Amino acid sequence: MSVKASGTNFIPYVNLEKEVKRWEQVYNVLTEPKPDIVPTERKIIWKKNKSTLYFHPAKEKKYQIPVFLVYSLLNKSYILDIGEGSSVVGGLTDRGYDVYFLDWGSPSYEDNDISLDNYILDYLENGVKRALRHSGAKEISILGYCLGGTIAAIFTSITELPIKNLILAAVPIDFSEGIVPAKWLKGLQKGTINFDRLSEVYGVIPTEIMYGMYRGLSPVSISPWVNLVTRAHDLEYVKKWRRMDKWTKDSASFSGAAFKQLFNDFYKENKLLKGELTIGGRKVDLKNIDCPFYVFSTSRDTLVLEKQSLPVIDMVSSEDKTYEVFEGGHVSLALTGHFAIFADKWLSSRSQEI
Amino acid sequence: MSKEKAYDPFQGIRKISTMWEHQLNGLLYMMTDNNEFVRLLSAGTDSHARYMELLRKRQELMAGVMNIPTKKDVARVAKLSLQTEEKIDILEEQIWNLQDSLGSLNKENLAMFQEIVNIVKEMKTEFQKIGLEISETHQLKEDFQELKQELATLKNLVQKGKAKDNEKVKDKDKDKELVLTAVGTMNEGGAI
Repeated sequence: MSVKASGTNFIPYVNLEKEVKRWEQVYNVLTEPKPDIVPTERKIIWKKNKSTLYFHPAKEKKYQIPVFLVYSLLNKSYILDIGEGSSVVGGLTDRGYDVYFLDWGSPSYEDNDISLDNYILDYLENGVKRALRHSGAKEISILGYCLGGTIAAIFTSITELPIKNLILAAVPIDFSEGIVPAKWLKGLQKGTINFDRLSEVYGVIPTEIMYGMYRGLSPVSISPWVNLVTRAHDLEYVKKWRRMDKWTKDSASFSGAAFKQLFNDFYKENKLLKGELTIGGRKVDLKNIDCPFYVFSTSRDTLVLEKQSLPVIDMVSSEDKTYEVFEGGHVSLALTGHFAIFADKWLSSRSQEI
Repeated sequence: MSKEKAYDPFQGIRKISTMWEHQLNGLLYMMTDNNEFVRLLSAGTDSHARYMELLRKRQELMAGVMNIPTKKDVARVAKLSLQTEEKIDILEEQIWNLQDSLGSLNKENLAMFQEIVNIVKEMKTEFQKIGLEISETHQLKEDFQELKQELATLKNLVQKGKAKDNEKVKDKDKDKELVLTAVGTMNEGGAI
């Protein structure tokens, strides 16, 4: 009698083949090194310090206006290009857009004085300049995700560069709201919790502390592993899971100056919402945004709440503006490839079809 | 067709674990949502920062005594290379500006050359026209000269005719004188 037959007799209805595959995959995940992330076809067009500006050419160019992706400073940006089938960048190039993607990189000790002003003016603005020059296009669409959306909104409101469209996804604008307990927020606003000294002594907040902070947001986290075991027989799911697992544990470090600014200007004083923020001596007024404007949130976002994004729609002066809420979570927006689909639906009619 | 479902205990475990995870996180959320925890967090952060400050100071001191570079020294060197990178970026932008101004200058030059070519072409056609007019003038001059010559011949002829007429008149006058002389002579003779 075969092993399979004896197993089937022992536990009726059990699919032994599936179980073998499941546990084999779990074993592989536990013993093999983290997977390599294969990016969408790309070319480096500019480098500054640890940052890199990538150009991802469209598979079959359909639109004149290229897209410039801005990701958050808090995590590694490869979440937007995490492999075929899940890549936001790949989704956009497949749909006929030339994509420019600024990877901020992970700051080191010498980058302790890089502030948000530097990131926005020296890195982002110069990157967009180079993208415009490289593409030969007269205008460009900016697409910001998470804190990258906040940065993109600030940048669009102060730059003189020709921005055709602005898309913000899961963007925090109102920092008086948050996912952390209310007393923590109050503590931040009153200054009881202050990270100035910590930022100064570390210079650059190490990845371990950043990872610890994310873990602190949901300290008990066994569901990813349970999900893996539940669906480990599905090879495609395991591939995606491993890439996601790698990204989750691969936090970026954070420059001390920017960290202080983030907590003081945004969380403590909520300057962006109040219109009191200045970047490089220029006053940030989101009313200066008058290009076509699209904001979308997800209904199950546990990192950026919908009410944090909502005020921005009334703050800009664009006539063509849209706000939508889609089913899904914060990270799954990028991982499922839906991000590119949502963006394309709105962007396609505003990107000068060839 | 069999209605039997394959036995999958993991779906149940998944549901229970998700529920437990949610509840435990909720419990921790509630447990930490108070001023005491906020103060604890603040004190913890501050004491950690203070401890790190002391550690860094001593590290710097020891490294100075031992004459070995610290992370700060390496950062200073790295910043120098960053400054160079920034200067290169500025230079790149200046080269762009030059390229752009040269490009626009080239365009202007091209437009100017185009204009010159047009003017030369126009001049060429004008010269052709003038050439034609000159040849026509030459023709006219020749005609005039011919006419002049003919007029001169005509004038000669007229003068010759006039001279002949004068001679005839003179001859007639001579004849008249002769006749008159003859008549006078005859009258004198008769009187005799």
